[in-house]
Amino acid sequence: MPNTIQTGNPLREGLTGRSQPEPCSLVIFGASGDLTHRKLVPALYNLSADGALPPAINVVGFARRDKTDESFRKELGEATRKYSRQPVVDALWESFASSICYHRSEFDNLAGYESLARLLAELDATRGTCGNRLFYLAAAPDQFEVILENLNRSGLNKPVAGGWSRVIVEKPFGTDLPSARHLNDLVEGAFPEKETYRIDHYLGKETAQNIMVLRFANALFEAMWNARYIDHVQITASEPLGVENRAGYYDKSGALRDMVQNHLLQLLCLTAMEPPTGLDADAIRDEKVKVLRSLRPLEGDEVFRHVIRAQYGAGAVNGKRVVAYRDEANVDPESTTETYVALQINVDNWRWAGVPFFVRVGKRLPKAGTEIAVHFKSVPPVLFKATGEAVDDNVLVIRIQPDEGVSLRMSAKMPGSSLRIEPVKMDFHYGTSFGKATPEAYERLLLDAMSGDPTLFARRDEVEEAWKFVDAIRAAWSTRSDDLAFYSAGTWGPTEAEELIKRHGTTWRRL
Amino acid sequence: MEAAVNEPGLPVEIGRIDEELGKLWESGGDTKTRASLINLVIYSEDPGSMDANTELLSSIASRHAFRAILILADPGARESGARAWISAHCHLAGNGGQQVCSEQITFRLDGESAAALPNIVFSHLDSDLPLCFWSQAEFREPLDDQLWSWVDRLIFDSRTWKKPSGQFTLTDRIAALADPGAELCDLNWTRLRSWRLALASLFDHSAALPCLAEISSVRIECGSDSKTTAFLLVGWLASRLGWSLVRPLTTTCFQGSDGRQIEFSTSPAEGEGIASIKLGGGNFSFSLARSPDSPFFHAVLHAPGMPDSTLTLGTGRESVADTLLAELGRSGRHPLYREALAAVEPLIRAM
Repeated sequence: MPNTIQTGNPLREGLTGRSQPEPCSLVIFGASGDLTHRKLVPALYNLSADGALPPAINVVGFARRDKTDESFRKELGEATRKYSRQPVVDALWESFASSICYHRSEFDNLAGYESLARLLAELDATRGTCGNRLFYLAAAPDQFEVILENLNRSGLNKPVAGGWSRVIVEKPFGTDLPSARHLNDLVEGAFPEKETYRIDHYLGKETAQNIMVLRFANALFEAMWNARYIDHVQITASEPLGVENRAGYYDKSGALRDMVQNHLLQLLCLTAMEPPTGLDADAIRDEKVKVLRSLRPLEGDEVFRHVIRAQYGAGAVNGKRVVAYRDEANVDPESTTETYVALQINVDNWRWAGVPFFVRVGKRLPKAGTEIAVHFKSVPPVLFKATGEAVDDNVLVIRIQPDEGVSLRMSAKMPGSSLRIEPVKMDFHYGTSFGKATPEAYERLLLDAMSGDPTLFARRDEVEEAWKFVDAIRAAWSTRSDDLAFYSAGTWGPTEAEELIKRHGTTWRRL
Repeated sequence: MEAAVNEPGLPVEIGRIDEELGKLWESGGDTKTRASLINLVIYSEDPGSMDANTELLSSIASRHAFRAILILADPGARESGARAWISAHCHLAGNGGQQVCSEQITFRLDGESAAALPNIVFSHLDSDLPLCFWSQAEFREPLDDQLWSWVDRLIFDSRTWKKPSGQFTLTDRIAALADPGAELCDLNWTRLRSWRLALASLFDHSAALPCLAEISSVRIECGSDSKTTAFLLVGWLASRLGWSLVRPLTTTCFQGSDGRQIEFSTSPAEGEGIASIKLGGGNFSFSLARSPDSPFFHAVLHAPGMPDSTLTLGTGRESVADTLLAELGRSGRHPLYREALAAVEPLIRAM
């Protein structure tokens, strides 16, 4: 079959409100891993069942273990039945599974990539995938380098016959700025930036995408979205879980690198950015980078004044006793890794001058929740002062997960003959109004990568600017360790974090 | 209309509906949250429709919150009368088990009271929310300009119309009453989405794509009530591929922009809707078929440059509730529908 490239199927026009994924071969490096089984293949199956994938698609698992196509399909089938958002229909699974195959190779074996190239060419010829290749680096981060090198050496990174060749890189994108630059250089050596998709699954969440809609499609909010009306912003990501089976990675990483460098700074960017000139990927990412460049650097003693790091001790979560972080399996008993971090971040630009962003993230906190809370300034204490009534400030809360939605706290008069003012809440829940069957973040992100839409993926300069900010904090931390605070598992973090926000005359929100 | 109506909720005086709804929310002691994204009016003249519509509303409430105004009218009844009931469709949402409810106000309008339809609708809308009006009865003249100009999305099912030509004329007039006028949401078209997706996907293959320019025959098998459905499907192909109908309509034939003739024919099949479509030309043939109630399409592809293949493709969910939800869940205009309809308008006029 001639490998002519599809130039646009007119029957696809207008069928969905988004760009269409193109026929392609998706090669997953690290196909035996959790991510493939729990997220990637269930997401692909759901897309297939919804008719969102082109029939001409191949899923090639690349990993070291010895497996056959059949055994690989079988284990993926079992995992998909367990983790799929919608029930698996046997006939549809069989049809989808026929596009899956397994390619066994060591990551450092060039011959394995050369045989992969032959396999892909054969699949292009038999299944009409047009030479389009999407390489998904779902292996351990320390394997990225060798995989990228071998993709380069084998020529798989080069598009064939006018097709495209893209790479999806899973976080972490390095462990600091130099390693991120090194990784980015490696990626850039193999794939151009426009074909590089750095995945941050937070950006695939509906509520994260809704931040821009909420801000820029509602004149009510945008008009007040500045230092004149906003007192401060709190961004929280809390979870009751401990390190679970990620201790090996987490003990080296810590909360700052695991969550703040990527997810929370992304949320901050979406909250703080200026309106983009358009909805194309670079217009949005340009604005996010401007925010990152406006972050007031935290260096030296400033770090100890504006950043609190802490580690959980023994305590109780959900009524069960849990051990201290240092007693977790595979954690260094003398570890100084932070499981909690709270920061005061200032965005030094015209819009946000004088408005602190308080960011906190922690493990073994009382409940799971990720949210952005915009606290508006108080009304002048004039009118209701004589009544002795305290008037609470307005707070707009964007809940990212769980219970995705938006709420607005405002003041109202309590019914009765006297003037009593109470806070009331207007609440919008996605689940209440739209039901729960929203696609998983990975479904959206895989489709976007197949469609060539990088909007929800991090660009190189975003990643590096975020590392620059985070590295300065870590550099200060490396000079001493006596600032590491402790908190009991199941509480809302150390008292030092309370003191941090108290200096601004406020308290952390109760989730 | 003599059929007995099951009580579809708590009977209320029409003038006290808001008050009684307020009591409904306060009753029971447990906390309920009222949710609503739209006003959904369902108008029917079929005496047997009330239970089915109530069940339908119940099944969609958890996925698209609404205030429903369900109206069963019998304009021809000798005795006039208007009755109303209120009810709520509640479900547990989230891990906290919060009860979330959508409201339903049901009316039965007999005889002259049926003419009160505009007032019934206007006086019971949830303010500021879009008005989606699903007319399960055929439209008739004279049209009430004020009522129809308030409608944001006009839902109907052209497959159920006895005289599609006249009905399409009326829906066009309704859409032109305001600027922007009601968006026309034809469930007959909505149901075709899975066919269109599946057909489009057959041509994603690089070797299959050139076949689009060689199609010389389109054969559709459809249920006896589904000729309009078949016309809409071929209308979509024609509008996407630049075909125009050849006049006069002695034989049903399209002409491609390159002058190529494309024969179009329909033949009867069992069941409702489309059963199969076959596209042929040059030395390729593609067929897409679906057995009644099957959740899959079976596609058979034969074209030069690609191996002969059979595919199983998902159809998505296609119950009445799913079709309605698909329509409610999408906003904006339906330009493809308009273009498909325009491409086969002479065929529809001739029905």
